[in-house]
Amino acid sequence: MLLVLVTLLAAGCGVQPSGVIWGGPAVRGPAEGVSLYLVRNGTLALVIRPVAPDLPPTEVLRLLAAGPTVHERREGFTSEVPADAVPTEVAPSADGAHLVVTLSSPVTTLSVHAVRQILCTVDRAAASAGQVVTVTLHGSDGHLSPQSCPN
Amino acid sequence: MVGRAWSLRVRLLLAFILLGLTTTAVVASGSYFQARRVILQQAQDDAAVSLTKQLSKLYPLGQLPPTQEQLDEMAELLSNEGWPAVLQYHEMRTWSNQVSPLLTPELQQAVGGRVVAWQRVSQDGSPVLLVGTQLLLEHPDGRSRPSGLEVYAGRSLLSEQQSIDRLAALAWTAGGLSLVLAVLLALVAAAGVLTPVRELGRAAQRLGEGDLTTRLRVRGADELAEVARTFNGTAQTLERQFIELRRMESDARRFVADVSHELRTPLAAMSAVTDVLDEEVGGLTGDAGRAARLISTETQNLARLVDDLIEVSRFDSGTARLALDDVDVAAALTATLRARGWAGRVRMELPEGIQARLDPRRLDVIVANLVGNAFRHGAEPVSLRLHAEPDWFTVEVADHGPGLDPEVLPHVFERFYKADSARTRSEGSGLGLAIAWENTRLHRHTGQPGSLTAANVSTAANVSIAGNVSIAGNVSTAGSASTAGTVSTGGAVFTLRLPRVAEEPGDGAGR
Repeated sequence: MLLVLVTLLAAGCGVQPSGVIWGGPAVRGPAEGVSLYLVRNGTLALVIRPVAPDLPPTEVLRLLAAGPTVHERREGFTSEVPADAVPTEVAPSADGAHLVVTLSSPVTTLSVHAVRQILCTVDRAAASAGQVVTVTLHGSDGHLSPQSCPN
Repeated sequence: MVGRAWSLRVRLLLAFILLGLTTTAVVASGSYFQARRVILQQAQDDAAVSLTKQLSKLYPLGQLPPTQEQLDEMAELLSNEGWPAVLQYHEMRTWSNQVSPLLTPELQQAVGGRVVAWQRVSQDGSPVLLVGTQLLLEHPDGRSRPSGLEVYAGRSLLSEQQSIDRLAALAWTAGGLSLVLAVLLALVAAAGVLTPVRELGRAAQRLGEGDLTTRLRVRGADELAEVARTFNGTAQTLERQFIELRRMESDARRFVADVSHELRTPLAAMSAVTDVLDEEVGGLTGDAGRAARLISTETQNLARLVDDLIEVSRFDSGTARLALDDVDVAAALTATLRARGWAGRVRMELPEGIQARLDPRRLDVIVANLVGNAFRHGAEPVSLRLHAEPDWFTVEVADHGPGLDPEVLPHVFERFYKADSARTRSEGSGLGLAIAWENTRLHRHTGQPGSLTAANVSTAANVSIAGNVSIAGNVSTAGSASTAGTVSTGGAVFTLRLPRVAEEPGDGAGR
């Protein structure tokens, strides 16, 4: 009994390795630049371009249509938004309930990822605090029903 | 006794040590583990808070995905603040430093969630705390989204380990001290218990050896003191009863001696009267003549009995003394037989030239008693054999009677023991063999008394019963009995063994 006790004591001495311990929420903070949503590994991914943060939504969408930079491409980012999907106008609808984004290209042929990229990017560009932005996409071939960024 | 005391001491010692060690182990290990938990928790929480503060300096994030240079810059910033760190952005990672080999998959998985996570790992035996977190981006709408940037920072726990080691050393020291204390306490307690127990044991032994004056010192009022008191009471009672018994016994002996002496005077007168009667008995006929002869015989028997009683009382009172003289044993034996008119009836084997220094009167009494006994209870022929050893000589008296009953053998030398219920009561006082035995034991050589033993020839030598079992006389008895067996068939053999040179009276002789 004594031996077991001593062995136990000796074995339990000092600082032993532990399992993972969960603490509080992760660190959070602001970003400085323009947020764009690209696609990486089949999901939407956020990138931040180090440009003036108060760019109007039209310009932001233009950056999105321009596609990922060389650096972003090297890191595995792609974009499904076609290069001709240049915005002509971003304006509130007549009743003010949602934002109408008018593109110069067809919108009904856009992939799901492409639509979400546009939605979320507009959302980040135009959002005011605490408000979910609903967007209606208009294009050369008609328009999509109003949607908002899923995440 | 010694072994038992030792084991009691050991048991006490073990009990105390076990108690001391168990208590210390429970208390010390309990406080040790508690303190260690508190120290580590404190250190880990502090580290997490401190790292969080450092990480807030990385905001606002400028570019995502960051370039390798930006990642390295951030890592360097953290390192400069005392946090060697690894930053990771998907497949991109800062140059490896001491932290990167320590990262575990489970920590990386935990950091993938939106929490700060930490883990203690061992780096070459020294403990390191790894803290990891993902950098979140705040959205203007108040929600935050993962940026994909993960930070892992390491911090050594060596100082904590040193504190904990000091605690452990303290606990071991406390344990050792308590062990020493337990041993000391156990020894004190054992001494407190064992000393009286040992005294009690010694006293009981002394009492058992016959020292009835043994008393214990009663200390305190505990159970041991109670035992000592009981012991003293018992010893006192024993002593009192012993003294009482001895007094009664000596009273009885003195009474016998006094009675014997008192009887002597009237007996002398009666003897004188019977002498006269004996001379006149020829003229008496019929009942008067028979009565006169009966009175004469009985008076002689009574006189012999009183003489024997006086003799025995001398032995009992311890006043019997040897009167030593140098004699030729064979001549003395022959004289004894001749004096009683037995010379022709006894077959004698008496080697010449055996000299001895003893009490001739007592030798005469012994041999006369033995031979007379053989005539009375055995059957003729009776033989008398003398045999010499360097320091002793033996005399065997054998008869050819039926021998002694095995039940009688152990008691044959007792006073008034009736060996034979049909024994003629007119002959012998019943004290003859007892007196012979006492006389034999008066003769001593180098502290050893002479011996008188009885045995049966027909029933093999090993049935022999020694008059005094504790003396070496047995050996010669067995030897001589078997020797006798070759020349005779059946009968009792009495073996007398006396020293060639008896010790002078006064140096331990007598009872």
